Amino acid sequence: MNKKMIMAGLAARPVRTTVSILAVALEVTLILVVVGLTSGISYETGKRTEGVGADIMFQPPNSSLILAINNSTMPIALENKIKEVEGVKAVAPVQTLVNSSSGLEIIYGIDPQKFDAVTGGFIWHKGGYFKATDEIVVDDVYALAKKVTVGDQVEVLNHKFKVSGIIEHGKGARLFISQQTAQEMTGMVNRASMFYVKLNDPDQVNTVIGRMEKVFPTYGLRPLREYAKLMMSTSMPALDAFIETVVFVAVCIGVLVIFLSMYTTITERTREIGILRSLGGSKRFIIGLIFQESAVVCLIGIVLGVGSSFLLARLVQFIFPTLIVMITPDWILKASFFALVSGVIGSLYPSMKAAAQDPVEALAYE
Amino acid sequence: MKNLLETIDLRKTYKIGKIEVEALQGVNLRIREGELVAVMGPSGCGKSTLMHLLGAMARPTAGKVLIDGDDIAGMNDGQLTEVRRNKIGFVFQKFNLLPTLTAGDNIAVARHIHGRGGPAHDQHLEEILQMLMIQDKMGRRPSELSGGEQQRVAIARSVANRPAILLADEPTGSLDTKNSEIVLNMFRELNRRFRQTIILVTHNPELVIYTDRLIEMRDGVIVSDNDPFPEDTESELAQPARSV
Repeated sequence: MNKKMIMAGLAARPVRTTVSILAVALEVTLILVVVGLTSGISYETGKRTEGVGADIMFQPPNSSLILAINNSTMPIALENKIKEVEGVKAVAPVQTLVNSSSGLEIIYGIDPQKFDAVTGGFIWHKGGYFKATDEIVVDDVYALAKKVTVGDQVEVLNHKFKVSGIIEHGKGARLFISQQTAQEMTGMVNRASMFYVKLNDPDQVNTVIGRMEKVFPTYGLRPLREYAKLMMSTSMPALDAFIETVVFVAVCIGVLVIFLSMYTTITERTREIGILRSLGGSKRFIIGLIFQESAVVCLIGIVLGVGSSFLLARLVQFIFPTLIVMITPDWILKASFFALVSGVIGSLYPSMKAAAQDPVEALAYE
Repeated sequence: MKNLLETIDLRKTYKIGKIEVEALQGVNLRIREGELVAVMGPSGCGKSTLMHLLGAMARPTAGKVLIDGDDIAGMNDGQLTEVRRNKIGFVFQKFNLLPTLTAGDNIAVARHIHGRGGPAHDQHLEEILQMLMIQDKMGRRPSELSGGEQQRVAIARSVANRPAILLADEPTGSLDTKNSEIVLNMFRELNRRFRQTIILVTHNPELVIYTDRLIEMRDGVIVSDNDPFPEDTESELAQPARSV
């Protein structure tokens, strides 16, 4: 009977019900897409960084784990000092640039010889390395997404480049330009954003890092596998604050909408509540009805929200093919939980108010 | 006959801002099982307040209301709710059906709250619906029913759980003469056929011919009561109040 009453109540106020469901769906979508996008970019970056094949990532002091927001640089001359550390086989300086005009792309400015020495070289689909400063190497994902091939022109950071080669994806970045070009574009001559370090024995990572720390005490030294693992995990410390903020905002939206919806519901239905009380409906019964109604709204909103998140993820990937939106089962569960929690919090006060109504006054309500 | 309702020096005061209004100023009455009683009086005489107290919808300021022997004065909200659920049926002037549900579901809600069900009760309900001539209206919403039909659905809902007492507040107040007559005859039929105790609260003197007993109120007190067993009532009221 409760089910019938709840469904009839929801159907009797279709606009408010629809708006409430859409708000919960928005809450779920906001959480899933933003978290999915953040995790997707992070995971993808981690995977590609791992694919570089280096053993240590050497960064300037106080630099961020997230390469896209890292502006620190260091003298490129450090390369020779790093090489001197026992156990180091090769060092590749990299200048990173970020292109956010179509998604979020990291561009590596590299010295081909040095980069190959660390990574073991690219797998070429077509063409080869850049020979001129206005040439660029792109990976196969980028080439497919932008429908470009060798010889075509692409515009990156307001610069026109000719595609000189297409490589297999998974080696740090999707776009590679010469170190010289990168330095010219950033205005940071003889500087590098990071060094990839290859060791003679990959199992000696911690030992070599220990040696490096003595020479470069303030620099960021991380085993690449550890870095990749961190980037690919769903709880990345650097992103936690951001994700928590998004979740908080989404839950606030849910709480406010459910509160408003349920508050107006109980105001409109004061007389109905009086009728139920006159029939012997207890306070608990009234609270239960309001909570169940809010739960139905939340459940429909969750289903709609999860569905629209997948649709939106597809849309994002259609517009920005190089972006990855990772909607994972654990985040679907978390987003559903948050939506239900917002439903409970949002309907708490209205349900208490409804139950506390004096039956005589409620019946007299016009 | 068993006493179902009893009030002893019943008083109810409302506070409106700083002004105190004494709606009931010492009401003593006794209603027995199977009686069909009309409580009559002009607007503001306290009859609706009396109905709310007799129906366990409110607590008295002073005095006692004994419903089937239990004094509601000291009851908490949960206990009052239980009394309403198990012993009282209400019929209101404005029908008070749940607008989003069908007539059948309106009755089902009362049974659901009461926790009743089962074939025996269905048979009782069938009899009621037949008597009220609304068995073919169960699938309709209140907005699809006439005023008279809505009030008959409300009556069916009020007696679906076989309450000890049926309280009707101006039950014909929103009906035309013809429908009023039908509804009043239904009350009479319920009283005769099922020995349903009914208290009709009204300001309409024409309604009195359908009842067995008339209690008249004015300014919060009973001014006349044609109780068929007055001595019995007086002698019993003279006894110390029954403890609960």
